Amino acid sequence: MLNNFFSKMFKEKEAPPGEVAKKRLQFALVYDKLEVSDEMLQNLQNDIVDVLSKYFEIDKASLRLDITRQEDLSALVLNTPIIAAKKRGQAPK
Amino acid sequence: MEGKIIVITSGKGGVGKTTATAALGAAIALEGKRVAVVDMDIGLRNLDVVMGLENRIVFNVVDLAKGRCKVRQASIKDRRIENLFLIPASQSDNKTALSTDDMVRLCKKLRQEFDVVLIDCPAGIEQGFENSVIGADEAVVVCTPEVSAVRDADRIIGLLYARSITPKLIVNRIVPRLVASGDMLSHKDVVDVLSIELIGLVCMDDFVITSTNTGTPIVLDRDSRAGQAFRRIAARLLGNTEIPIVDPLEDLKGFWNRISSKIGLRKT
Repeated sequence: MLNNFFSKMFKEKEAPPGEVAKKRLQFALVYDKLEVSDEMLQNLQNDIVDVLSKYFEIDKASLRLDITRQEDLSALVLNTPIIAAKKRGQAPK
Repeated sequence: MEGKIIVITSGKGGVGKTTATAALGAAIALEGKRVAVVDMDIGLRNLDVVMGLENRIVFNVVDLAKGRCKVRQASIKDRRIENLFLIPASQSDNKTALSTDDMVRLCKKLRQEFDVVLIDCPAGIEQGFENSVIGADEAVVVCTPEVSAVRDADRIIGLLYARSITPKLIVNRIVPRLVASGDMLSHKDVVDVLSIELIGLVCMDDFVITSTNTGTPIVLDRDSRAGQAFRRIAARLLGNTEIPIVDPLEDLKGFWNRISSKIGLRKT
């Protein structure tokens, strides 16, 4: 008891465990919501390929779609080599 | 008039769903409603022992849903509380014994026989959860002030919203002393993180252990803080919104708090 009292008096102020819990939870929940299933990512990639193919000749095999996460933001990164732009008028309506 | 169906859920196991279901069922019945509590934890039934009705089981919820018996035959009358009935889970089947179609039919039947039906949802987000939620009009999410329980509650809340149910929150097993010292998440933290409507706060209470051990309703005990908290929650569920939600820390704000906040041990 007394020990506890002194350690509380002299120790550097740490965030209390309750507060730590809240912060960790808030982060965890944000990350949980950003989680994307592989199936969804694959469907998205197929759709993007379809759209891009209207305007460009692309190398479908080497297209890569990733979700990257930095501290507090996440980004969708698409990498694809473009072989050629389709001529105007060739693009379907 | 048709009764309403309320599912008691949480995601995580062991946060007090079954205790809450038994207590709320008893409290709502004491308010004069005809109540059924339904144990949907098929294969792992427990609501019957908590309510002290374990040796009266003849038919169960699977029998009822499959049409092998009538609602009256599957409903076990409580020993003490008038108008309170238990529909127990089956112990021999597993959670895939029932389909959502079975449950829709069952809920329709129960609505005609009872004013309020409380469904004790199993832990998890699988078939048992789907079955418990499919026929529900309202949902109560039970959560303890722990990171694991809050995270799972958040997931469950998302799944309930996806089914157009706006759940209400019970924060269970609060230890005011630990909240005051900053060691435990406060109910405000939990509400902040989950951002849903709060319907009640229940403190950690030794009476829960003793009443579970003896299979007697905690709400009949006037000295039990948890029991009385559940009675207030029951009244709120029935639409009595004037009853204020008391901060469990209020009781602590006595002599010691004032002293310790003066000397800087505690943040006020």
